[in-house]
Amino acid sequence: MEYDENGVSIVPAELKKEIFEEARKDFRYEEYVRGCLNCGVCTGGCPPHRFFDFSPRIVLQKMKSKDPELIWTMMDEYVWACFQCFTCAMICPFLNSPGGVIAILREIAVRRGFESAKKVLKPYSRVLLKLTAYGNQLSPDMIQPDFFPDWGPHIGYASTDLAVKRKAIPMPTLQVTNLAWDVAPETMKELYDIFDEAGVFKIIESVDPSLYEIIQDIVDDVRSS
Amino acid sequence: MSENILVIGGGPAGLNAAVMLSELGVNVTLVERDSFLGGNPKKFKYKFLFPDMQPADNVIGELIKKTESADNIKVYYSSEVSDFKENGKKFDAVIKSTSGSETKTFDSVIVATGFEHFDPARDAKYSYQLFDDVIDIKDLERMMGENNFVRPSNGKPPKKVAFILCVGSRDRHVGNQYCSRVCCTVSVKQAIEMREHFPDCEAYIFYMDIRTYGFFEDLYWKAMEEHDVQIVKGRIAEITSGPDNTVVCKGEDTLLRGPFEIPFDMVVLASGMEGGSQSPEISSKLGIELDEHGFLKPENVTLSPFKSNKPGVFLAGACTGPKAISDSITEGAAAAMNAYTYAVKNR
Ligand SMILES: Cc1cc2nc3c(=O)[nH]c(=O)nc-3n(C[C@H](O)[C@H](O)[C@H](O)COP(=O)(O)OP(=O)(O)OC[C@H]3O[C@@H](n4cnc5c(N)ncnc54)[C@H](O)[C@@H]3O)c2cc1C
Ligand code: SF4
Ligand code: SF4
Ligand code: SF4
Repeated sequence: MEYDENGVSIVPAELKKEIFEEARKDFRYEEYVRGCLNCGVCTGGCPPHRFFDFSPRIVLQKMKSKDPELIWTMMDEYVWACFQCFTCAMICPFLNSPGGVIAILREIAVRRGFESAKKVLKPYSRVLLKLTAYGNQLSPDMIQPDFFPDWGPHIGYASTDLAVKRKAIPMPTLQVTNLAWDVAPETMKELYDIFDEAGVFKIIESVDPSLYEIIQDIVDDVRSS
Repeated sequence: MSENILVIGGGPAGLNAAVMLSELGVNVTLVERDSFLGGNPKKFKYKFLFPDMQPADNVIGELIKKTESADNIKVYYSSEVSDFKENGKKFDAVIKSTSGSETKTFDSVIVATGFEHFDPARDAKYSYQLFDDVIDIKDLERMMGENNFVRPSNGKPPKKVAFILCVGSRDRHVGNQYCSRVCCTVSVKQAIEMREHFPDCEAYIFYMDIRTYGFFEDLYWKAMEEHDVQIVKGRIAEITSGPDNTVVCKGEDTLLRGPFEIPFDMVVLASGMEGGSQSPEISSKLGIELDEHGFLKPENVTLSPFKSNKPGVFLAGACTGPKAISDSITEGAAAAMNAYTYAVKNR
């Protein structure tokens, strides 16, 4: 990927137009983008704005400009600076949702497997695996001192003897360590159908092909069981 | 026999209507909800009026004097129209006051029930009523009017004051999409007044658009040129408390600084104008239309802004939307002329 002097990736004008059209056609677009007073209330309340050169007001203004060039400048890094906290949507006097616009743009980046999306999602591969293969987000065996230093001084103790500790929980579905709770195979199959229909597997294939292969092996196993 | 005309509301608009009708020889009945005349300017003790900073008394006091000294204006204080019926082309109204109820027949009616100030406590982000040093423009008018310009928290004169525009206006969250028209000019006027009387107090105005329309623009230029008022483009997202008993305005300076958090001794919210509870009440009592902004609706906003949809009932002043005193007074006169014409035609 090549970048211009502003750090924006260089792509053909057609692609930029396509991205813009795709965002505009999103079913949420009309609700998220109304008028804009350029007042800065959204940005004033936006947490990342204090740390990065990032402003939901700019997101909304660029979207309203209908200029594919301007919108493209946000696709590499800009859209990933948002915390998706939706403070902006709560306080905008026009009831716009800059955070919602960002969600739309991010989904496009993910669906199309853009470099930026791959980079951002890489650290989440463990979570993605658990989620799509087992219908869980975090499991006890993911609690390791290296990964969760912010969980306090007892994280080392918390990560030992997991099996024994889990046995202390009276709910039978919770006495597993590789999952947060045991999911019945029937439920998993239904989940896979949903992921298929919603295009989730396809998205993973485009952003992380090797992860996709691991997940598909598990999916095939469960489906044929 | 002279005509009988009812005027409801004794603010600038209603007072001027009453005075004009009285000069035409009409018997005027003026019904005022409060125990005094003068409307919002009197209630909140406005001291100096924009655009020329003349003492409010020149205008309001003058109108009250003329009204109270006219033989043919009967003022009912602390009163209301409790019942209202059409009677052919005329109107029967019951006027309820502390001294009882009276039924009278009128040839025509002028509604001049005015506006109410937006209550800034309705928008939590401004922390009004949470912090003592967050006040609004009507509070400041009153403070200045009473020569008592100090920080409510400690009684000391402030050194740094922020004005925040568009509070309760131009905001879908509070249900008011419209611009209140006068609050930009009021804030600029107050900032000038403050700088004149308390020169070591800094003034900041946080704005989204400065709407000092027409000649009011002179005040805006003067504020920057002669009084060094800081004008910052950016609407405030939140007011929090800061160190040393300060209130902190947080927002985005959309032109210069980017994100900011500035501590102030005092914050003045430019709360806008609303139709208040009186507009729907009068609308249903008199059978006249209310508009989508919560004010009374003129028959035609451009051709006849002083007529209601009901023949014989006329409108004047801020009851039809935010406006300055001069416009309210002009409309009082226009409504008087129309109410008089209607009365004479149907004599
Ligand atoms: C903070 C502030 C400062 C301002 N400063 C200026 C300025 O410097 N210069 C300027 O030109 N304009 C100024 N304005 C605008 C000005 O206040 C209005 O233009 C003006 O008050 C409108 O007059 P009005 O008679 O229509 O309404 P009001 O002043 O609202 O008077 C209406 C009257 O009707 C009475 N009433 C209401 N309902 C009833 C009822 N049902 N029955 C009987 N009586 C009723 C009320 O008690 C009130 O006395 C300012 C506005 C604000 C908010
Ligand atoms: S959703 Fe994103 S843009 Fe909106 S306030 Fe939160 S971090 Fe900022
Ligand atoms: S708060 Fe809303 S109206 Fe104001 S700049 Fe942000 S998106 Fe635009
Ligand atoms: S007059 Fe100024 S402060 Fe008042 S609503 Fe309009 S723009 Fe906002």
